[in-house]
Amino acid sequence: MKFMSLLKKELREMLNTQTIFMLVLMLFMMYGMGGMLNKSAEKASEESSRITICDQDDTKFTQSVLKFLEHPTSDMTNEVKKITLESDDYAKELDRLNIKSFVIIPEGFTDKINAGEQAEVTYVSQMTSMSMMSNVNVGSETALQLISSAVKTAMYSDLTSRGKLTDKESKLIEAPVTVNEHTIVGSKSENISQLILYSSLYSRSLFMPMAVYILILLGSQSMINAVSAEKLDKTLETLLSAPISRLHVISAKMLAAAVVALLNAVVYMIGMNNLNLSPAGDIGEEYSKMIEKLGLVFDFRAYLLIGIQMMLTMLISLSISMILGAFAKNIKSSQTLLLPLMFVTIVPFMACMFLDVSTLPGAVRYLLYAIPFTHTFMASDTVMFGKTELYTAGLIYQAVFLVICMTIAVRIFTSDYIFTAGEFIGRKKKKKHPEEDM
Amino acid sequence: MDDNRPSVLRVEHLSKQYKKGVYASRDVTFDVKEGEIFALIGPNGAGKTTTIRMIATLLKPTEGDAIVGGCSIKTDPAGVRRNLTYLPDEAGAYKNMKGRQYLKFMAEMYAENREQVAEYVKAAEGICKLGDRLDDKIETYSRGMTRKLLLARTIMSKPKIAILDEPTSGLDIINALEIRRMIKELAAEGMSFLLSSHNMLEIEFLSDRVGIIARGHLLEVGRPAELVESYHAENLEEVFEMEVMKKDVTGW
Repeated sequence: MKFMSLLKKELREMLNTQTIFMLVLMLFMMYGMGGMLNKSAEKASEESSRITICDQDDTKFTQSVLKFLEHPTSDMTNEVKKITLESDDYAKELDRLNIKSFVIIPEGFTDKINAGEQAEVTYVSQMTSMSMMSNVNVGSETALQLISSAVKTAMYSDLTSRGKLTDKESKLIEAPVTVNEHTIVGSKSENISQLILYSSLYSRSLFMPMAVYILILLGSQSMINAVSAEKLDKTLETLLSAPISRLHVISAKMLAAAVVALLNAVVYMIGMNNLNLSPAGDIGEEYSKMIEKLGLVFDFRAYLLIGIQMMLTMLISLSISMILGAFAKNIKSSQTLLLPLMFVTIVPFMACMFLDVSTLPGAVRYLLYAIPFTHTFMASDTVMFGKTELYTAGLIYQAVFLVICMTIAVRIFTSDYIFTAGEFIGRKKKKKHPEEDM
Repeated sequence: MDDNRPSVLRVEHLSKQYKKGVYASRDVTFDVKEGEIFALIGPNGAGKTTTIRMIATLLKPTEGDAIVGGCSIKTDPAGVRRNLTYLPDEAGAYKNMKGRQYLKFMAEMYAENREQVAEYVKAAEGICKLGDRLDDKIETYSRGMTRKLLLARTIMSKPKIAILDEPTSGLDIINALEIRRMIKELAAEGMSFLLSSHNMLEIEFLSDRVGIIARGHLLEVGRPAELVESYHAENLEEVFEMEVMKKDVTGW
């Protein structure tokens, strides 16, 4: 009995309203995120059966390859869309055709196969984000595999009908088709694989949202603690009854927070500059130059632009924390106050890590854009991929949001709210005498 | 006591309504004269702290006004803050600061120049008598030491009126006696005090006049001895009990 009483007491302590609230919140969040990821997976699955191809060779053999692409097996059907290119400017062509990738079977493809030589196809894809799931062009990648497989089958039956394969022929059968990859970033095109690009930028694309998330949480927690401690210790009462302007009190707090935010942003930028955890390792000078030409390098401008959004995000989270801290009734409640902030941070954090938010369906996209932190989680994408309008809109939104938050914070600190906020929360309405307990 | 002395604090029909029908303080009127020690006494939740917070310009009154050293809490709160200092009940200090740093920091809030800062800090050092411990971080202080530091901070600038909420809470008998003696001396020099306390012995010893407050209303104001006599009571504690209970019985 004693043990059960102890157990009940421990459970009551540990499974408090705060924990249950967090669990429910996480459930909703995971459900929402799961839904978004599932939709992206469904989209990828649909895309895998949609192949866009430009047959510049247009021979009987390539026509048969295209037919094979349509029905590779008896139970598999792909939607093959044939396109004609109007120019060699692949970026423009992608834009004109409103697609993300396509495969070109160049002129002379059949001749090379007939001559027993390795043939080449061109794979053009557009990179618009560094998020994990946005760099998958399933349709085109399936097409490349199927073309190689079709050529392999045709070549194999042709060569084996002539007798035993030579070493050269065996090697050719292993890889009859080579892929000439072009990756488009904005209006720039380079002869580089998207996979290599993604691998080289992988660490930064992962580190970026993680660092922002940690900075927001650490900054917010210290601000909530600072404000609530000052309120609960009554040092705030002492300070606000002194002959100094309340605006000075709050602006000093905000300025100090801004300095800390700036320091955080600088430290983070230095850290990011030195971080190179690319699974591709050292990708070599040639590729590095291509990446540079595509504009996917963190130069001074990129650091500056990302840094500005980082600082705005920190200031927003700090001013929200300042507001929330005013509602603290005790140390425990000050920790609970952090939960809503955690929630609105973790959703865009996870979304931006996996998805290209700018391509999500309208309602979900705007809901995410409404969270000011989303724009900083997206900062490396918007800056690196030249999404200037999105970056600017995000920056303006963050600035407006900051002004609103600061206005509310100033209003709270210059009114009775700083002392009365939170006092009526959770109070039962059963008093006989209205003047009691003041 | 010379009753013709000018009032340093005049509280006029001061009320605070938090939400419709919920008054924390209602129509409170009293005054504190120069060099006078005035105490507000009342049970928990009576409205003492709300009244004090309004006078200290921390809360805005719903009705009424308070004039501190000629400045209105409504129209000139900055002027009011120049004339008073406030020590909240159970207040803390910045734990990461050293005692001397805290005194200097607070002195800077009240002083007009560096000389005055030094003067205030020196005065505070003499009041709190913490010696070398002033060079230690406040987080290492006992509750009593912190209270002494805060009291020193409150009276170091010799304001026209010092508002002390439970001035000796957390102090041992010796330190409490010392603080009470100091308050008496400063009052004799012309500094006024508005106290709030639950310690009736302290109130009886210190106060020139007391105001009994319950459920937001100021029920009675008078000198402790006069109140004891008029209520035919043994002491102030009994007066307090009779006054508060009477109002309870009559259905407040």
